[in-house]
Amino acid sequence: MRHRQLIRRTKCYVALGLLAAPMAYAHDPVFGLGPHTLFKGGVEVHVGSHQEKAGDERATESEIAVKYGLTGDWVAGIELPYVHSTDESGNGRGPTSLSTKYRFWRKDLPGVQESAAVLAKAILNDGDASHGHAERNGNDYLVGLAYGYEGRKWYRWASIRHRVNNDAANGAERPNKTLVDLVGGIRFEPTEYREPDWVWMLELNYEHTEHLSALSEGLPRQVGGDQWFLSPGLMWTLRNFAVKTGVQLPLYDDLAGNQDADDYRALVELEWHL
Amino acid sequence: MQRLFMIPILFALALPVWSAELSYQLRVDGLACPYCAYGIEKKIKALQGVANESVEIRLNEGIVLFEADTETAIDEATLRQLVTDAGFTLRGVKTQSVEPPDE
Repeated sequence: MRHRQLIRRTKCYVALGLLAAPMAYAHDPVFGLGPHTLFKGGVEVHVGSHQEKAGDERATESEIAVKYGLTGDWVAGIELPYVHSTDESGNGRGPTSLSTKYRFWRKDLPGVQESAAVLAKAILNDGDASHGHAERNGNDYLVGLAYGYEGRKWYRWASIRHRVNNDAANGAERPNKTLVDLVGGIRFEPTEYREPDWVWMLELNYEHTEHLSALSEGLPRQVGGDQWFLSPGLMWTLRNFAVKTGVQLPLYDDLAGNQDADDYRALVELEWHL
Repeated sequence: MQRLFMIPILFALALPVWSAELSYQLRVDGLACPYCAYGIEKKIKALQGVANESVEIRLNEGIVLFEADTETAIDEATLRQLVTDAGFTLRGVKTQSVEPPDE
C-alpha cells in the first residue's frame, strides 16, 4: 500500500513538473516555443488549461498570465497556475512564474517574418501544489532558444528548452528536463486583417528527463527517461483575440522504472492583445 | 530660368503644410499574420489626428493605410519608429492629400 502511494506521488510529481513547462506566446506553437513577442506597450492577457493523463493519474493545470511589451522585441510576464489532480494531495495553487523573452534577430520581408529569440523563466517556490510536494527549497529556472519562420502560407519553428530544477541535485523528486520541438504550420487561405484566421500545425516534441535512482521512504524509486510526441494543433485568431488548442500524442517512450507513459496531453488557451 | 524651376519645387515642399488632411500608405515588411498586425493598428490609432475608421491593413499586399488631419505631415522617422515598436520593418511611405468629398 505504501509502495503504491509512493508510485502515485512520483507520477504526480513528474506530471506536475511537465505541466509547469512554459505555455506558448501568441503566434507560437501550441506545445513548443516560438520567437514571437508583443508590440511595445502592449498587454497580453492569457488564460489556459492543460490536462495530462498517465495511467490512472490525471492532472489539470489552469493558468492566467499577463505579459507586457517592453519593446517591439522584448516581452516580460507573470503566470499564475492552479493545479487540480486526481491525487487530491496534488491540488492547489501552482508556483508563480516570471518570464522574459527577447527577440535578438529578425529578418522582415514582404509577407514574411523570420526571427530568433531567447527565453528565460524563473519558477518561484511559492505554490501549494507541485513545489510543496517536492519539499524543495528555492526556485527552478528555465532557459530556451527559439527560431521561427512565419509566412502568409507556411510556418516553421524549432526550439530547445532546458529546465533546471532546484532539488534535482539532492534527492531529486523532479529531475532536470530538456525539451526539443520541431513544428510545421500552414494557413490554407491567406486571410486579410479583419477576417478569422486559421493556422494548422503539426509538432514533433522530444522530452528528456534526467535519470534518477534514489531511495524514498525506504523504497527504491526511479525517475526519468525519454518521450516523443506528435502533436496536431490549431491557432484561430480574429484581430486581437486568439484561441489555441492541441493534443500531444505519445509516439515513443523509454522511461526508467515502472513509470506510466503519458496517454495524452491536451491544451486550450485564450489570449487577448490589448 | 533657375527661378522657374524653384517655384514648383517650393510649391511641392510646402504642400504638406497646407494640406489639412493627408492619406498615408506604409509599405511594411514582416506582416505575416493578422493577429501580430494588431500592434500597428493600435499604434497608428494612438497618433494625434488619425481618423480611426480610416486605418486599413492589407496583409496580402504588405500595406498599411490611414488618414490623418494634422497641422504638419507625420514625418517618416516617427512612422519608422512606430512600425519598429510594433515589431515590423518600414520599407516606404507615400503621402497624398485627401480629396474632399463631392457635395
